[in-house]
Amino acid sequence: MLEALVLATVFCGFFGIIFKKNLLMKIVCMDVMSTGVIAYYVVVASREGLLTPIISKGKNVVAYADPVPQAVILTAIVIGFSIQALMLVSVMKLARDNPTLESNEIEMNNTP
Amino acid sequence: MNTLTLAWIGLPFFVGFSIYLIPKFAKYLAIFGALASAAYAFQLFAMPSAVTLQLLDNFSVTLLVDRLSGYFILTNALVTAAVIIYCWPTEKTAFFYAQILMVHGSLNAAFASSDFISLYVGLEVSGIAAFLLIAYPRTDRSIWVALRYLFISNTAMLFYLVGAVLVYKASNSFSFAGLGAAPPEATALIFMALLVKGGVFVSGLWLPLTHSESETPVSALLSGIVVKAGVYPLVRCALMVEEVAPIVQIFGVGAALMGVFYGLFEKDTKRLLAFSTVSQLGWILVAPEAAGFYALAHGLVKSALFLIAGSLPSRDFKVLRQKQINTKLWIALVVGSLSISGFPFLVGFGAKMLTLKNLTPPYAIAMNVAAVGTAILFAKFIFLPRGGEAKSKPGFWPAVLLLLGGLIAANAFDVQAYTLENMLKAIAIIGVGWLAYFLIFQRTAIKLPRMLEQFDHLVGFMSLISLLLFWMALPQ
Repeated sequence: MLEALVLATVFCGFFGIIFKKNLLMKIVCMDVMSTGVIAYYVVVASREGLLTPIISKGKNVVAYADPVPQAVILTAIVIGFSIQALMLVSVMKLARDNPTLESNEIEMNNTP
Repeated sequence: MNTLTLAWIGLPFFVGFSIYLIPKFAKYLAIFGALASAAYAFQLFAMPSAVTLQLLDNFSVTLLVDRLSGYFILTNALVTAAVIIYCWPTEKTAFFYAQILMVHGSLNAAFASSDFISLYVGLEVSGIAAFLLIAYPRTDRSIWVALRYLFISNTAMLFYLVGAVLVYKASNSFSFAGLGAAPPEATALIFMALLVKGGVFVSGLWLPLTHSESETPVSALLSGIVVKAGVYPLVRCALMVEEVAPIVQIFGVGAALMGVFYGLFEKDTKRLLAFSTVSQLGWILVAPEAAGFYALAHGLVKSALFLIAGSLPSRDFKVLRQKQINTKLWIALVVGSLSISGFPFLVGFGAKMLTLKNLTPPYAIAMNVAAVGTAILFAKFIFLPRGGEAKSKPGFWPAVLLLLGGLIAANAFDVQAYTLENMLKAIAIIGVGWLAYFLIFQRTAIKLPRMLEQFDHLVGFMSLISLLLFWMALPQ
């Protein structure tokens, strides 16, 4: 169930990229999609348990969450965030000459 | 060798960030970074066996460098060095050189990695740095082209991440070898992203606009090496996991034929070179055993051709046919065109013959057709009128001579290709191509629609290609 919802988020984002006309909305949709992907890593990490994976002196046999996907997705979050920042800056630049930010207009103006 | 490998991966980033601290020495530091990689690549060729590195535990970063990565690393070093030399007399800021080193370093990391997450980081960092290089002129058009590039590659990489976690779910590790045990949807998502990133087949239709609208040195860098970062992991997976090799080969054939087909009707020099890149990437994929050598041959010749095309008086073939181009420039252009068409004594010949030798009959027939197509494409360049007087930019000749010299020197990697039979075959392919050029393609004035290159279609095709890949990856 959780998995299906997360994948639905990914697809909502993906179809948003295709169907939204505004360039800014497209970028926001990409962010929605990336949220879905990150959530999917968290879902995969929690397959076998939800507890924080810290070794303690007492009993160690608990159902802890898999630390690897969580660690990996941190990198992807940082990369995704920096890409968002770069894209928004370029959209700001483009907005000066194309105030409506309609992507097909921008594409027509800037393709030879 | 292990310490050396780690130091080599870190070096370009270290040197690249140092450029910000001492911008006066930007050019020297940049060229040092590129030459260090070249030295490392030669070190790799001297090694008897592959170097595998597993950092920490079996969950973490795994690196693998062998002869295959050696070829890619050497290409990376030579192309980067040539681009830096080309930019030497220009007024490019330290920022530009720093970004070149970032691209260089992240590509090196991608060529050394053998797990999906290190590869992801390498590809994304190279994408960001390439974005900054494309947008360097700060015009509206360059910003749009760069944004489009980053948007498409990042969307593809999000699918890639889903595929990577599916591999992890199946085998508890992110290494390439886990692909064999992974479900077909993992293969479909990862391969779709790599095909987009590498500009292969229909997924690669973002490439002509991006590569033709960038500045000359940036196009040389993009076409010469950046796209190979998407192709290398496909080749590596095909060599490691037997089940996926046919998928990679089929896409290789498709890309080789599609690139040539689009290129035949192209009227613009830089777009023609970009379509030829699409086709040549197919050549790299079709025979994974010969991929490294072909990548070296293509990287050198394509960046040289992009630099030369930047010095031609016009981008339009119609205008170029009326004008006479500088004879020296024309000779350089002919050497490059002959190498990519597979003429003996240049490295393109050895690479083509090695690739064809590794193919089974149905693939070999298709690739011979693609070879004839390539000869037709480059006949357009060879038969341009010469004899004009035009000055070239100061950094142009050292850079082009480095690349063209590489084309001749790299023959040493494969001397067995020089048999009489092979040479006759290569000359026959070029002869048929030139004949077809004179009889048919010199006069055609068909213009292919560019609809599929629109942004929305590029994104939409990602879903179609993943469906196709999913169907191909289903166990029979």
